[in-house]
Amino acid sequence: MLPHAEMVHWAFAAGILLVGLCLLCEAIVGQEVWRMRPWRKYLWPGLAFGMGVLLWPVMAFFTNSSIHMYAHGSWAEVLMLAGGAELGLVHGRLKSRAWRLTWPLAFAVTGLAFIVHEQNPWFFARSAFLHHLLGWTFLLGALVPLALVWRPRSATLQACMALTIVAVSVMLFADRDVAAVFGHLSPLAGPAHR
Amino acid sequence: MRRALVVTLAALAFPGVASAHATLRSTTPAFGHEIGHGPAHIVLTFDQAVRVLPGALKVLNGVGTQFALPARSEGRSVVAPVAPLKRGAYTVRWRAISADSHVVSGVWTFGVGIPAPAVGEAYGAGGPTVAEHVVRWLWFLGLALAIGSLGFRVICLRGASVPRALDRKLVVASGLGVVVTLQAGITAFSLRAEDALQLPFGDFLYGDLSPMAATRFGRAFVVMTLGFALVLALLYLSWLLDRTDLLVPAFALSVLFAGGLSWSGHDALDPGSSWKTAVADWVHIAAASVWIGGLATMVGLLWYGAPELRRVAFANFSRLATLLIALVLGAGTYLSIVRLPHLSDLWTQGYGRVLLVKLGLVCFALLWGTFHHFVVRPALERADAGFLARLGRSLAGESLVGIAVLLAAAVLVDSKPPSRDSQQSPQGAAAATLRP
Repeated sequence: MLPHAEMVHWAFAAGILLVGLCLLCEAIVGQEVWRMRPWRKYLWPGLAFGMGVLLWPVMAFFTNSSIHMYAHGSWAEVLMLAGGAELGLVHGRLKSRAWRLTWPLAFAVTGLAFIVHEQNPWFFARSAFLHHLLGWTFLLGALVPLALVWRPRSATLQACMALTIVAVSVMLFADRDVAAVFGHLSPLAGPAHR
Repeated sequence: MRRALVVTLAALAFPGVASAHATLRSTTPAFGHEIGHGPAHIVLTFDQAVRVLPGALKVLNGVGTQFALPARSEGRSVVAPVAPLKRGAYTVRWRAISADSHVVSGVWTFGVGIPAPAVGEAYGAGGPTVAEHVVRWLWFLGLALAIGSLGFRVICLRGASVPRALDRKLVVASGLGVVVTLQAGITAFSLRAEDALQLPFGDFLYGDLSPMAATRFGRAFVVMTLGFALVLALLYLSWLLDRTDLLVPAFALSVLFAGGLSWSGHDALDPGSSWKTAVADWVHIAAASVWIGGLATMVGLLWYGAPELRRVAFANFSRLATLLIALVLGAGTYLSIVRLPHLSDLWTQGYGRVLLVKLGLVCFALLWGTFHHFVVRPALERADAGFLARLGRSLAGESLVGIAVLLAAAVLVDSKPPSRDSQQSPQGAAAATLRP
């Protein structure tokens, strides 16, 4: 039986993994090959925008703490903004590459929201550790899409971006369990219940 | 790949099947319930193991007397014995460390021998503040901009050859309105919850807002948030794909979800509230939003952005405004009769005085609009450029009066109408008992 508390994170982790894999494919085969089928260029930006829309129900229904509501709301907004800007660029509605700055912005906001909404220190439990790790990965990872604004054809940067997103999805899959991290679990974290 | 995409999107579409964080599953007594006798224990059951902080569960009566004895945790539950409770309304405030490692807090109300008050009337809650009035005003402004610009494009410019640049500006304006509506909704919900929870800001961030989400205000917040997120997505797709036909469902949905603002106004204690007043409130707000927002859109975007469309837009909007004003006046008159049992309430009650200010502003705007309709419109065919420029300034003035009407409406919606002595609800009595 699947533990209930993981379902939402796992669903979004699956979406993020798909985005990361699409980006990785694009980085490996090159943009020209990736876009030989016209719909492929819309795939990962559309998925990002769709996840932004679907984060609104998460924000509205999970009101069991204010900070989580704000975190989910901020993720909904930045994902819609960055995914929407990317869709506009690939569709030709937007021309300026400055719109790609929405991605480092999304990374930075997401990272800050992860760090701010985690109340406990790194080694409190696995969930706390992963929240901090996710936050810092996003914050430092924001440098990659920032560099891509000026070096959009760099295969190395594209691969870095893809791998960062894949790594984030793996962390999200592993997050939220009441389990020890490196053999340590705070007594305040409560007993494992799964 | 396409199948994987469909499966992923389907999985993401149903987040409600699971909870992501520690949640209070049930309480004894239940949220907002009336019970015959005082309970021997207060029990909170969570979806995961929790620990209680010392003195972190309080049962308070209407004057703040505490009745709860020290609480203990029993697996996923927190149990606190309670001293005997007399007939009256009570507030429970709690804090606990959840198994997912966060300190969570919350509040709920119950009644012994009387109906429980709304959680917004919990002991210590002070009611709407100036900040709430300002936020609700922004909420109204965002709604008016979203609905007004959409309505103006869909109704008044239907069939007209609209320049592409103007179309884009209209979509951006309505998108901006939707974003303001969403942000103001979140802020308004937070302010109302903060008032009910009465927690320091740091603790409020981890406060359980579920009881607030279960109130009429909370349900309106949830419905409006989801509805306007959908409207935002439609607007974006309309812009991306150059599909103006998508603006029609966006307009219909935004008008429909505007009902959330009237649903969240006042509270369940309104004397004489019924489905008829809810519908009238919705008609009142939706019609006023299209009127004021449409007027502002015409002045701000079309008048100087597409001068060739001034005449046709003004004539169409003038016809539409006649219908909208009839709806605003009809619904407003009905609501005033229901909510003000005596004419003297207009000058003796706070609610009545705010209503008088609003009525005065509405009359001013109506006179201005009547002048535009009966004097300016017939003269429009032979008008020169100077006349049209002066008309633009006149329309801007009428828009500003409309924005002032929305401010008065924001204060009015947050205020409580006077009770009818003969119709005072038991909830009203309970709330009166509960106030410190």
